[in-house]
Amino acid sequence: MHPTKSGRWITQTVSSTYLTEAVAIWLRDLRSEFRTRYAVNSILMFALTTLVAVSFSIGSFRIEESERPFLYAVLLWIILVFSALSGLSRSFVKEQEAGTMDILKLSARPQAVFLGKLFFNLTMLGVLELIIVPAFILLMEYKIKFPGCFAAMMVTGGLGLGAGTTLVAAMIAQANARGALFSALSFPLLLPLIITAIKGSERAAYGISAAGWPEVKIAAAYAVIMITVSLLLFPLIWEE
Amino acid sequence: MIFKILLTIWMSVILFAAFLCVEPAAGFPGEVSRILFFHVPTAWVATLAFLLSMIASCVYLITRKVNADFLAQSSAELGFLFCFLATVTGSIFAKATWGSFWNWDPRETSIVMLLMIYGAYFVLRSAVPDHEKRRVFAGVYSILAFCTVPFLVFIVPRITSSLHPEDTLNPAGPGMDMKTLILFLSSLFAYTGLFVWMLRLKVRMLRIMDKEQGMKFKV
Repeated sequence: MHPTKSGRWITQTVSSTYLTEAVAIWLRDLRSEFRTRYAVNSILMFALTTLVAVSFSIGSFRIEESERPFLYAVLLWIILVFSALSGLSRSFVKEQEAGTMDILKLSARPQAVFLGKLFFNLTMLGVLELIIVPAFILLMEYKIKFPGCFAAMMVTGGLGLGAGTTLVAAMIAQANARGALFSALSFPLLLPLIITAIKGSERAAYGISAAGWPEVKIAAAYAVIMITVSLLLFPLIWEE
Repeated sequence: MIFKILLTIWMSVILFAAFLCVEPAAGFPGEVSRILFFHVPTAWVATLAFLLSMIASCVYLITRKVNADFLAQSSAELGFLFCFLATVTGSIFAKATWGSFWNWDPRETSIVMLLMIYGAYFVLRSAVPDHEKRRVFAGVYSILAFCTVPFLVFIVPRITSSLHPEDTLNPAGPGMDMKTLILFLSSLFAYTGLFVWMLRLKVRMLRIMDKEQGMKFKV
């Protein structure tokens, strides 16, 4: 990659793979996030506020037993999706605001940047789910019949959320009216995932057998497709 | 010019024939099955337009020819228009046969999602000031959005059951006689012709607008 004649440089370039570059970007983002805690705070505060509002106005006994599995799945995914949409665009918008976009373009390959940012967004989503899902289960007395299946649905759903939004975040960071645009562009892309995740959580909580697995597979397929397509398309919007 | 006149005659013949020449299909109340000749072609043209828009976006991203982007944009706009028409006609049919304009049948869900995706596409176009960047972003978003369509068309309707008449009104199904089939196919043909005519107009308009803007900058 670097046009130098010395062998030392060349071996160094060869040894830096996409993955090591991606991990370097991921760790750097985590470190800078740990210093300011801006994204994680805004996501978590948004999630906690909505959770408190839902729990306060609905509580654990307002909804009839037979309707709980479906309505609780809907409420849980509304909280998760909109909290994620409130903060995930930070990963690229902060580069634009700090003026570090160009240096990042020079120092790593586009796919590595995408993967690094994807890992960072997935970390944020992991933190969000680890806090919000148990809190939701406790506050709403959400009885889950198949915890393994439910956990798998949460993991694949989170993967899909990260996969569907990272490329959009990279686009809106370079556009006007960033905040509103991120939700407007991401939401249509996420809708198939959200429908699947709601259905899967409902079935995992209340199904006759562990019937949520097809939905887990669909969500995983969605994540794989979105990550692959994003990896192919990302260099186009990154090198503009 | 001759194309326009032929199209007018063709469309009027179909309009009359749809009401006068064929019997309404059995199993549907009253005359509602005549919607076949108007609703299905609009949905078909919408699909065609979105597909064309996606292909044109790919071509633009590979070759960076501005004309490909004009085609992608016009095709997306016309697809949106026809998709809206399909939604409205479908909704009227739903009222007549199922009793309500809207009940989130899987077909209705997926068509609303299509409208939302392309709504977002136009929002993105309007939000990027730089011409080159706007074209690239719109192309990328259109490809990304197209990748979610299989989920909407094939997977979501499979998870939930649908009331949409497919077997009864499908051209390959047993419920359609020869006359209906011919009229249906010629209606598809007419709507596709209408789409092509509108598309050419729209592309020409965009090209002129672009040229005018370029001239303004030069002056």
